[in-house]
Amino acid sequence: MAPQAHHDLMVDTTHDEHALQSYVSNLRMYILNEIGGGLSSVYEGRVKPAFEKRVGHAPKDEHDVRHAMMADPYCRTWSSMMRSCQEMIWDSIIPSIERAQPDLNMRATQLAEQPKGSMTLDPNVKIPRYVSASDIHLMPGNYHSERGANDVSQGALYDRGVYVYAAGNGGPYGDSIGRSLAQHLKIRFPDFQPEKILDVGCTVGHNVMPFVDVYPDSNVHAIDVSAPVIRYAHGRAESFGKPMHLHQMNGERMTFEDESFDLVMSVVTFHETSRTAMRNIIAECRRVLKPGGLMIHMELPRTAEMDPFDAFYIDWDSYYNNEPFYQAFTSTDLKAAYVDAGFKEEHYMEVMTPDIYAAPFDTFEAAASGPETKAERYGRLGESIHWTGWGAWKEG
Amino acid sequence: MSDKIKITPVNRGKRPAFFDDPAIDQLMAIVMSMSAEMSVLYDRVDTIERLLDKKGTLSRDDIEAFRPDQGTEDERNVRRNDYIARLFRIIHEERESLVSHDKMDEYNSLMDELAKS
Repeated sequence: MAPQAHHDLMVDTTHDEHALQSYVSNLRMYILNEIGGGLSSVYEGRVKPAFEKRVGHAPKDEHDVRHAMMADPYCRTWSSMMRSCQEMIWDSIIPSIERAQPDLNMRATQLAEQPKGSMTLDPNVKIPRYVSASDIHLMPGNYHSERGANDVSQGALYDRGVYVYAAGNGGPYGDSIGRSLAQHLKIRFPDFQPEKILDVGCTVGHNVMPFVDVYPDSNVHAIDVSAPVIRYAHGRAESFGKPMHLHQMNGERMTFEDESFDLVMSVVTFHETSRTAMRNIIAECRRVLKPGGLMIHMELPRTAEMDPFDAFYIDWDSYYNNEPFYQAFTSTDLKAAYVDAGFKEEHYMEVMTPDIYAAPFDTFEAAASGPETKAERYGRLGESIHWTGWGAWKEG
Repeated sequence: MSDKIKITPVNRGKRPAFFDDPAIDQLMAIVMSMSAEMSVLYDRVDTIERLLDKKGTLSRDDIEAFRPDQGTEDERNVRRNDYIARLFRIIHEERESLVSHDKMDEYNSLMDELAKS
């Protein structure tokens, strides 16, 4: 694991905590790639033929595949290892954050004293049920748990947790999706120069911060329902010297005026909300978008467009990694939802971009300069890292 | 120390059992944790050896303060990955032993061919 870019809210670890986090990230990559990489052979080689023999036809959807795969010893072992490893990620980080308190909260407060950006907290924001109902991806306390005044602990846990989870493959700033999107948009739409940008569901601001670099003349805003992650995001952005305006706000009921933003985006937010919330957020994104502006949501690939095995693999987290809303997203037709919200069908667009850190830059550039990318074929998962986005321009 | 917080799960729900006997899932979790403890210990020994190589003497503070540079971290990554591969060889071996569907077709058609010749 390459080192995470240092900022003033990073938590010190002991020698052994550092060693443990490094190991857990090596272990996760092994389980994911070396053991998980065998799942498709298990499926094709024995699970699918046995299913066909027993039932008389091939598994027709991901549920068929799941029932058959979860009875297979290899898949059970992989699942058991995945689950344990996910728990180990959080366990490897928690003691250092507990120890860092309350100094960590104080550091965040100090970083906010002479800000380049701003922070607006709103104690009236209620934590929605889809956030409070589940420790998403098994993170103890989820995004919103608050332990005393000025608390940033969940922000710190998420920041380091995502880094260990991705084994640093998200880049030193953990911003690979946001940076890939920003660069892709810049190349694809050279005349589009957003003055005001909004990220919905920003957590600690990983994926919106690169927009400050890519569109240096813009004003970057970001919202989240959780005060601890907003405080952390603000302190982190200030520590990196990036002007960002953080707001504690619910994307379903934003307090921004109509037609305030040129670009409204989110990164992996939808799959952690409910179907209803998703529709409310889309409607709100449209409301706050200026005419001619762009809305784009980066998300997981949609299972409806995959073969049943890939869909099973993607939705595994929904069942076993506390991602209860994964399927609400992966089964939603976003194009239809955008049209329902008032966007014109001809203004709908999709983005599929190689990862900016994983792909050579000319490959990245070619993907952004070529004919409009369609997020319709993913290939076997894990062959290369691509990020997918679903968007729409607002008429006018 | 009244300020010391506790970060605990608030809504994790029931832990899924993947095997028919949940004790196997528990054992898997224990084995994985033990593997981590051993790796941590190995890194600590590695730190001690590096400090001794460099200074010929060491203190606990030296060990705690030691942070691997990128070269050291790269070496450790190689060693950890080899260690993981040895430890979980039995699982990986099952993957290697699987004959993919295509291979089977290939094999059958080869058999047909041989039968005809």
